[in-house]
Amino acid sequence: MFGAAGTLLNTSKRLQNQGKPVRHGLDAWDEMMMDRDRRLTGHKRGQAAEPYAPEEFETNSAWYTQRTA
Amino acid sequence: MSRFLDPAESSKPYTDPTPLPADVPKVKELGVTSAPLKSAAFFLGAYCKDYNEDFMLCKAENPDPAHCLKEGRRVTRCAQDLITKLRENCLSEFEKHWNCLENNNQYYPCRKDERVLNKCVFEKLGLVKTIPGTPEGKTPIHEVKNPIYTGVQK
Repeated sequence: MFGAAGTLLNTSKRLQNQGKPVRHGLDAWDEMMMDRDRRLTGHKRGQAAEPYAPEEFETNSAWYTQRTA
Repeated sequence: MSRFLDPAESSKPYTDPTPLPADVPKVKELGVTSAPLKSAAFFLGAYCKDYNEDFMLCKAENPDPAHCLKEGRRVTRCAQDLITKLRENCLSEFEKHWNCLENNNQYYPCRKDERVLNKCVFEKLGLVKTIPGTPEGKTPIHEVKNPIYTGVQK
């Protein structure tokens, strides 16, 4: 029972993370980098190693319009 | 009936309504995500040291984004140059290392791939990974054969 539930949970988590293990120990820097990855590739776990970013990357940052106060 | 609609997945993605003015020289942004960047970090430090330091000193004077645009463009171009060189010369080792880093959140499980990558980069590009701040006389942690502290279990 526990084994089945555990396996199901693990599979669900892996499917949400593109087949990779869940990232643990995240801090504010990692959250910021994962948001940048989402802007670059479309998914927060997507990775790309191109020297040049797609055109949309230059203007899709919502940071300037966020209100922090 | 009303559920949370993530703005990141909308059909009309967000674009900045106030882009940079036309008199700022355009430079294409770096298209490297977090894992390859983490893998290439020390080589970026070795290769682009002057431009990085210029930019950091400029930011220390005045944190306003408009003040350091020129130094920022230089940093971007230097990083793009290094990533292009890495891809030309050591693509497979680089990919293996950053895939390993993406699956584990830490450096320890990926030391084997890291040693292979460091060797390739040293032979082809002449860059060495140095960890600044290593105490004098001690081997840097990435060269220690049997470290005491191994991977952190989640």
